[in-house]
Amino acid sequence: MKPRHDGAFPPWPAGRNLADIQWMAWMPGVLLAALALARPWLESHMARHMGLELPLLFMVGWLAARLAGPRLTRALDPWNAHGLSALVFGALAMAFWMVPAALDMAVLNPLMGTIKVGAWLLAGLLLGASWNRSGLVVQAFFLFNGCWMTIAVGLVYQQASSQLCSVYLPDEQWSAGAAMVFWAVAVFTLWLPGAVRASNLLGDGPARRG
Amino acid sequence: MRWRGTALCVGLMIVVALAAFSHVTRGFSAVTSDGVRRVDLEQSPRTLPSLPLVDQDGTVFSLADYGAHSSYTTIVSLVYTHCMTVCTTAASGQAFLQQEIKARGLGARLRLLTLSFDPVRDSPSALSRYADSLGADSALWRMATVVHRRDLAEMLAPFGIVLIPDGLGGYSHNAALFVIDEQGRLSRAYDVDRPDLALADYLHTRKAVR
Repeated sequence: MKPRHDGAFPPWPAGRNLADIQWMAWMPGVLLAALALARPWLESHMARHMGLELPLLFMVGWLAARLAGPRLTRALDPWNAHGLSALVFGALAMAFWMVPAALDMAVLNPLMGTIKVGAWLLAGLLLGASWNRSGLVVQAFFLFNGCWMTIAVGLVYQQASSQLCSVYLPDEQWSAGAAMVFWAVAVFTLWLPGAVRASNLLGDGPARRG
Repeated sequence: MRWRGTALCVGLMIVVALAAFSHVTRGFSAVTSDGVRRVDLEQSPRTLPSLPLVDQDGTVFSLADYGAHSSYTTIVSLVYTHCMTVCTTAASGQAFLQQEIKARGLGARLRLLTLSFDPVRDSPSALSRYADSLGADSALWRMATVVHRRDLAEMLAPFGIVLIPDGLGGYSHNAALFVIDEQGRLSRAYDVDRPDLALADYLHTRKAVR
């Protein structure tokens, strides 16, 4: 099978047939239940909360979207030209949960905690369903901005001299910031090679569909 | 059609996100819970609950005594005496204020209160030693803690102090210098390392009232 370089991100499981991954249909539910059980441990440290719980919730949503297949993508279509609505939602949700006061509220207030879980799952679900609908330029715009914002905020977290969150130790801010920088770099690094190939940016191959 | 739906969706999300950001940052004026609390106190001062406290001399009084109309403004900090970090900043801030109160002859209008949230170790005698070590003048500066451990949460609530046991017998906690005004309302909070600002604000407000 020829590898596809259509900007699919991450390269799996989009590169496979839906039928190949359908057996995993139970996974999002089980993962979500596991996350719910691990919540006290995850939320007892700032870095685990921001660097593990939030990205995992996103991934569960993303996986659910991939398993739901094109039906979900089609259902979103009337409000989601080029995946724009999904991308805007993802960017806003991500930015919102980088505000230390919001993170505090998510721990101290059960309603906010639930909204947080819902927002990250939905962001994963929407983006998982519509990432490949958006062209390379749109993807690049959101990815550059998202990664840049995350790195900038991560660096601020690392350098902050005052206590940012009431519920987390100031010592934990460095690692929480480092986790943010890590994810931004990781996501960008995963996305870049496919994007370069798809756009024939380096001019060493026939341009493929972007 | 698809574009109209998407534009509507994106517009709606941006409006909701702005409302959410504005709410959690109190109109884009604070990003940390401490900052949010500062704005909240200024906009809607809080009343103090009636709960029994004991001071360094063993005298029992009620926190609500400070919540009544009086000729005094009280600057409060919340600490535990074994603290080696932020509480020492709070203590030196109050020591600075005591010096200023004496130097400016404000003893009949401005007083200091240090509340300990470690009633087990901070007995009246421990508080008395602590007061001595700081050179606290008992006529200006009172140290106290709750009589009953069960009242701790109620004492901390209006101040928005969150305690996190650090596993070494200490706590990590947020801190601030709080102001109880002459109406007995908890109406201001300042960064723990800015007693100068608390004093300047007090002097300025007094001048304005006169």
